[in-house]
Amino acid sequence: MRKKHLITCPYCSVGCRMYVETEDGYPVGIEYVDDIPGIPNPGGKLCPKGNVAFQYATSEDRLTKPLKKVAPGKFQEISWQEAMDEIASRMNEIKGKYGPEALAFLGSEKCSVEDNYLIQKLARAMGSNNVEFAGRLCQSSNVVARTKILGSAPQTNPSSDILKADVVVLWGYNPAATNPVLFGQYVEKAILDNGAQFIAVDAIKTQSAKYADVFLQPYPGTDLAIISAMINYVIKNDLYDKDFVDKHVNGFDELAKSVEAYSLKWAEKISGVSADLIEEAARTFAKGERVAVLANEGLNQHVNGTAAMMALTDLVLITGNIGKEGVMSGAIPGAFNGMGASLMGVNCAQLPGAIPVANGEGRRQIERAWGFEIPDKPGLHYVAMFGAAYEGSVKAFYIMGQNPARALPDSAFVEKALEKAEFIVAQDIFPTETTKYADIILPAAAWHERAGTAISSNRRIQWSFKAADAAGEAKPDWEILAGVAKALGLGKHFYYSSIDDVLSEVNKVVPALKGATPQRLRGELKGCMFPCSDEKSETPRLFLKGFPTPDGKANLISPKYAPPGEVPDDEYPFWLSNFRLVGQFHTGTMSFKSKSLADRWTEGFAYINEQDARKLGVNDGDSVKVETRRSALTVKVEVIPYIKRGVISMPWHWGFNFLTKDAVDDLSKIPGYKTAACKISKVRG
Amino acid sequence: MSKKVFIDYERCIGCKACEVACEREHGESMIKVFQFPDLTNVSFNCRHCENAPCVNVCPVNALSHDTDGAVVIDPLRCIGCSMCVLACPFGVPKINELNKVMVKCDLCADRRAEGKLPACVTSCPTEALKFGEVDDISLVKEETVVSGLVGR
Repeated sequence: MRKKHLITCPYCSVGCRMYVETEDGYPVGIEYVDDIPGIPNPGGKLCPKGNVAFQYATSEDRLTKPLKKVAPGKFQEISWQEAMDEIASRMNEIKGKYGPEALAFLGSEKCSVEDNYLIQKLARAMGSNNVEFAGRLCQSSNVVARTKILGSAPQTNPSSDILKADVVVLWGYNPAATNPVLFGQYVEKAILDNGAQFIAVDAIKTQSAKYADVFLQPYPGTDLAIISAMINYVIKNDLYDKDFVDKHVNGFDELAKSVEAYSLKWAEKISGVSADLIEEAARTFAKGERVAVLANEGLNQHVNGTAAMMALTDLVLITGNIGKEGVMSGAIPGAFNGMGASLMGVNCAQLPGAIPVANGEGRRQIERAWGFEIPDKPGLHYVAMFGAAYEGSVKAFYIMGQNPARALPDSAFVEKALEKAEFIVAQDIFPTETTKYADIILPAAAWHERAGTAISSNRRIQWSFKAADAAGEAKPDWEILAGVAKALGLGKHFYYSSIDDVLSEVNKVVPALKGATPQRLRGELKGCMFPCSDEKSETPRLFLKGFPTPDGKANLISPKYAPPGEVPDDEYPFWLSNFRLVGQFHTGTMSFKSKSLADRWTEGFAYINEQDARKLGVNDGDSVKVETRRSALTVKVEVIPYIKRGVISMPWHWGFNFLTKDAVDDLSKIPGYKTAACKISKVRG
Repeated sequence: MSKKVFIDYERCIGCKACEVACEREHGESMIKVFQFPDLTNVSFNCRHCENAPCVNVCPVNALSHDTDGAVVIDPLRCIGCSMCVLACPFGVPKINELNKVMVKCDLCADRRAEGKLPACVTSCPTEALKFGEVDDISLVKEETVVSGLVGR
């Protein structure tokens, strides 16, 4: 019988809703949701990925049974009971022999709020704060910067407020490719229909940037210079919001002094963007009454990413574009539940509700709820875990829905580290570059094969219903984790009879989600925007009455220019950067298995500027060798006029992180993915 | 007058949601997005001509206009002769390899029968694709342009 089931899209963080249509428990189609007002995708709009959001799960490559490694690269099917017994005995053995710090856990932006809550609880119940997810790799700099200045990192306003903005800024962000529905329903309408001025900053003129009134095209990772000069210009020319600064901001005088040396000409020299254009951007920004500032990885995925995001947050503050209707800024996680994994404390230094592990009072409160002690020292961050595994201090990994062997910088080193680990559990829906190193592989249910909640980048928590039967013996992640905990002898802390039980516990432990109960979310299908203090309330706009800081004011942090990680020199004269394609997603674990996507977005390539190409004697479609200090690859080029000269950029889905450097930002530990120095040579023949 | 899919190419970001939606509904896509070096994108599907050469040349009357004006095919009548392929000025009709009959956009006849819009139109994230009668689409465009001229 044909049925339809409401789910949240399992790709990006916009949180689009759709109906999955099934025949006898098997997914056969998608229908657009035009009957629930207030969802993130008005009228049920979907991008190419959303349009076939069930397709990947029907792939023949699915993991359907627990597997045990019997020889390198050889796995044998085992029962769930055998898998649980093996995991329990090996993990307890390693913990006993080397201590709990030898255990490391990875949660996932592609799993539910409940799954993530349980994996960090499991890590902590085992005595380890070594628990991370890919949020470290893409948004941590944003989160650290905004938390330091504003006291809170998430997006400030509902997406629909973008429609009310008179200036829209996209900084290092191409939502036409990464969040097409957000772009089409809010950003593009603000620009084309409502007449907002549009400033875009990107090394590539993208499908988003093509609409810009002011387009800045800097070298990757030099954005900090531009923003610092803009702050200086705005203050010098009295274009800042004095009233707002007086009432709501600390540290203005220090800020003004610190940027004095950062002239437009200085920024031009570093960034390669003309002083006139930077001035125009500064004037346009400052003259806006309501400025929506959407900044993403082009700005913050650098070793100066936190500094750049702090400077941009300063600029938002001194122009008074926060704490009111019609503005917008805040973190934009990559995947559909990045916000949820982050809020659940899948973080080596934070507990659920963004409580620092070192915060004694906050920690004790959670300990009382859980009934066991939580280690009071932060664990290892994502990149450091693999360094520790290589050195030998981390001995075991429990990996849920992550692919570090492809996603981490200097990925060849990561694979060596995985080889050295004594025991690895990988819980996933498909074999990946990472699962091949696992000792035990557990088959997980795909997103629409189970129920659960996810939180969009816009702070909207929504219930996603079970639509189809799981493949083979696959189980929902939360159920697997509860089973593992029980096998490890921690059953009394993990006594859940349904996913509702897990969310109900989250409602008690995380005050921001107190009112987001299973009962409410199953009835209120558009979900609600956290913080929600009870079942009737939600919070569409943050900071309307000041900031969550001790004195209620935001604390400006003065920028100090630092270059991005590895910059070009005589030997490696090109900037190597990366971007995303609209029809692929992250390392392709899902999108490569989706035929309609794989047939259209088929392989990696590199964009190169036509003038650079001419110099190198390279034509469109030729192959080049791209070489960094780590390694080299051969790739076909697309010669285009609209990428910055001196920059070569590749979509990162097909994996070239063996070329990138493992340097991380001091403050946030985000890797500097977006810049590496490289040399390029034509491949003959 | 008949209804058609129109593209406002200024809004199109080339995301191919229309192609993928169409492929999901019909097994293969009957709409195609063309991308140009200046970052312009144009999606193109059957124009459902008022005076349709394909309908006119079909020797077995397999092609006709339905009540919305869509040019649709009766696959049981089609003999796969490709006369429509020759006649179409746009190169729209294709012959399905398996069934040996012509296939092309039918403006989602099944969806329209349920009161829904064609999948490509409903899906389009930027509302670049619109479904309607040509005069209505033109009027909206005219109004937008003129209101821009007089400063709204």
